[in-house]
Parts: sequence; C-alpha cells; structure tokens
Amino acid sequence: MTGYLSVARNIVIKELKLKYKQSLLGFLWSMITPLVFLAIFNFVFSTAFMDIENYSLYVLTGLIFWQFFANATNQTIQSFIRNSNIIKTINIPIFLYPVSSILTEIVGLVISLVPFWVLMYFFGLEFSWHFVLLIPSIALFSMFSYGLSVFLGVLNVYLRDVSILWNTLNPALFYLTPIAYDDSIIPANYLIYLKLNPLYHFFRIFRDILYDNQVPDVRSCVIIISITIIVWGLGKFTFSRLEKGIISNI
Amino acid sequence: MVSSLFQGLKKELFQTFDELKPQIDIKNLSIYYYSFNQGINSFKDYVLKLGFVKPFAKKKILSNINLEVYSGEVLGIVGKNGEGKSSLLKCVSGILKSYEGEISVKGRIAPMLAIGAGIEMELTGMENIKLISSLMGTKKGADKLQEIIEFSELTEEELVRQVKTYSTGMISRLSFSIAISEVPDILLIDEVLAVGDAGFQQKCIERISEIKEEGCTILFVSHGAADVERICSRAICIDQGTIKMDGDVDEVLEYYHSLF
Repeated sequence: MTGYLSVARNIVIKELKLKYKQSLLGFLWSMITPLVFLAIFNFVFSTAFMDIENYSLYVLTGLIFWQFFANATNQTIQSFIRNSNIIKTINIPIFLYPVSSILTEIVGLVISLVPFWVLMYFFGLEFSWHFVLLIPSIALFSMFSYGLSVFLGVLNVYLRDVSILWNTLNPALFYLTPIAYDDSIIPANYLIYLKLNPLYHFFRIFRDILYDNQVPDVRSCVIIISITIIVWGLGKFTFSRLEKGIISNI
Repeated sequence: MVSSLFQGLKKELFQTFDELKPQIDIKNLSIYYYSFNQGINSFKDYVLKLGFVKPFAKKKILSNINLEVYSGEVLGIVGKNGEGKSSLLKCVSGILKSYEGEISVKGRIAPMLAIGAGIEMELTGMENIKLISSLMGTKKGADKLQEIIEFSELTEEELVRQVKTYSTGMISRLSFSIAISEVPDILLIDEVLAVGDAGFQQKCIERISEIKEEGCTILFVSHGAADVERICSRAICIDQGTIKMDGDVDEVLEYYHSLF
C-alpha cells in the first residue's frame, strides 16, 4: 500500500512537471481559463440574469469546479494512452495511472483555490465554518470524476473516438449545468431533465456552501453520495472487465 | 530432544530443496493477445448486451511453454521477429497478465524491455533517473545516483537537457544505466543493446558479465549471435509459438540460423 502511494506520488510529480514544462505562464493557466470565462459571462450574461444577486461570485463558484471537472476527466481519460510507454515496460498496477491523474488535478484545484479565495472575498464572500464541508464535497466530486473517467478511459483504449466524443460533448454539458445561469429560469416541467444531470447536484452543493452560505440539506447529500457510489462502481466494473486487454491495445 | 533434532534436519533438507528449485519455473504457459473486435456492430452489441458478451478476440502468441531457469543461469532466447520472445519476458516480469498456466518467480526482477523504457521525453535526464528508479522500486541515494550518472557517460550539461534532445544512443545509455544500477535477482534484457556505440555496447556486455558473476539470473533476448555466445550459458529458440530447441548455446544458434 505504501509502495503504491509512493509510486502514485512520483507519477503525480511527473505529471505536474510535464504540464507546466516549457510554458510561459505555467501554473497560472489553471486560473486564467476560469477568469476569461468569468469576464465573458460577466460581460454577456450579467444583464440577462439580473435577478441573480452578486453574479460574479455566483459564476466564479461554479467555474472553479467546472474547470476541475473538465481537466480531470480530460486528463484521466487519456491516462492509459499517455502512459503506454511505461505501462508496457514497468510492472506497476495499471489503475495507478488514472488515480495519479486525478490526484494531479486535485493538487491543481487546491492550489488554484488560494488566489480564487482572494478573488471571492473581493466579490463579497463572507467567511463561514461551512467551508469545511468543501473537503468532503471535493472528495466526492473527485471520486465521481474518477469513476466516470475510468469508465470512459477504458473504453477509449479500444475506441479512440470516446475521448473525441467527450471533448465534443463537454460544452453541451457545461450549458446543461447551472453554472452561468440559475436553475430558477428553467420552466418547472423542464427542471426534472436538468436534474438528471449528475453535475447539477454537485454544483448545487458547491453553491450552497460558497454562495448561499448554508449547510446543504440531507437530501442533496444523499443524492451526491449515491451518484458517486454508482458512477465509481461503474468505472470499477468496466475496468475489471476490460483490464486484461488494455496492455495489448495501447 | 529427538524431535528438535528431527526438526533441524527437516529444515536443512528443505533449504537444500529450495536451492534446487528453479528460480523461474514456467509450466504449460500459453500467452494470449486480446485484440478488440473493433467496429460499430461489435461495440453496439457490447453495449446492448451490457457487457456480457466477449468483446475480445483471443489470439495465441505462445503455447505450451515449459521452462525452468535456475539461479545463476544466463539464458539466451533467440527466434524470429514476432514469435513472442518479448511477450515471454513481459509475462515473467508480471507486466503481461493475459496468460494461462503457471509462472513462479523468486526474487526481484529488473526488466529492460525496450529502449528508453518509461523515459519521459519532456523531462531532463536527471529527472528521468529519479523518476524511473523510483518507479522500478530501486533504492535511491546520492552515491547510487552518482553511479548511474557515471555509468551513463552523460555530461552534466546533457543531464539537465530534456531527453527529447538526446540521440537514440544516449537514451539507451541512460535507460540501461538506470535499470542495472542495482544488481537484481533476475535481469530481463530485450534487445536493448543494439543502439549504443561500440564502446558503450562493450561496457554493457562487461557490466552484464559482472552481474552474472554476482549470481544473477539473466534472460537475454537478442539477435546478436556473438553476444548470446559470449554471455549465455544456455539458450532456447522460439519458433511457431513454442520452444523448438533448448540446450547448448552453439547448437541452438546453429538451429536458429538454419531457420532462414
């Protein structure tokens, strides 16, 4: 177990190095992307959604986690293929590669939270002890992202279209999740469809904690825990069924 | 009194048996390659049947391999391209798990299965040394690091450069140095000596002989008959998915050449 941890740690360090090697702004990129979106949304939507109080904070609290989700799935889906060279030559359990990918993104998220925190204060965030709840929420969100990415990542080993398809669907998913808008603008009879999107519930929780400054209700917690277990199980099941062919196909 | 004597005797006997047991023991091994039944139809079927249909086509690479390698033996493996020599080494090292039969291996394995195994092109030589030795589970330490650097014959300026700027020979020097910095129980070498310059090749062969002297078991895949002759104490020839010949190096090499 400790052996696995040290291997995972080394892969994480490698991935962090690779990510920012030979780039001028390096780590800043994981902040610049959400900031650009923030500026665009402020410019485009703030008049359209005038009824949202403190629109900048509202959008930012969503964008931070969207950025994490988009990066994490994208990186983890590719993790088998990106590491094919090592997988074929060094005997390390294959599941450590997606695990390391997701850990890398968590590190990125945590580091980027520092400047974002400053920015959120600037937008009028008030300190509250509820913020501690972010830790289990981020943990659950990471496990959900991991399960989803492993499911897609294993399929992607056999059918490379999967990652392309995922990148194409990404923007659609973004607009199907209330990030730039509030779900109150959706007619009640369509809201049910919006709630079929698992991300809806996660973002609801993040908003509860950071924007509405309240403890999420038990119902939402149960929902995201169940979603996480189901999706994580799906990833695990797919991986165990298709694992043996991975090395022959990367 | 009598029983303790008996116990001691039994223990000693078992130890002797242990030493007599082969270090690598392969019984009835068949290695498969799982190719994916690619295509819209098979994928659709797979999804529709919720994964309860076999998505893979099993292709046999090697069948019915029986091989015992004893501690300290240097086994040369020869055969045509694509006959499964590399897959055999991958199975022994535990990387490839799609096989049937039994493989039992005693001791720490150092696999050198490809030129530049696990080397990350974007990182520098130094970063790669640290990364790969940690992934391979070898001990690190300043003096060990120095040893690796010295053996690789790379200059300090070269070591802080990204590996993508290296020549193939330099990469193989780097990767060879990392892999054999620590004497393992079993060394697997797959055709990795072919690229270094003559001087480095010579040095590698010498280092392998040194490792051999220390009692390490070596499986050596090569097309270079001279190298096999020089370091191997025994050889096998793999052809058409099975071991066609096992025994004396000269005889096996002769048989191998007669295949062409």
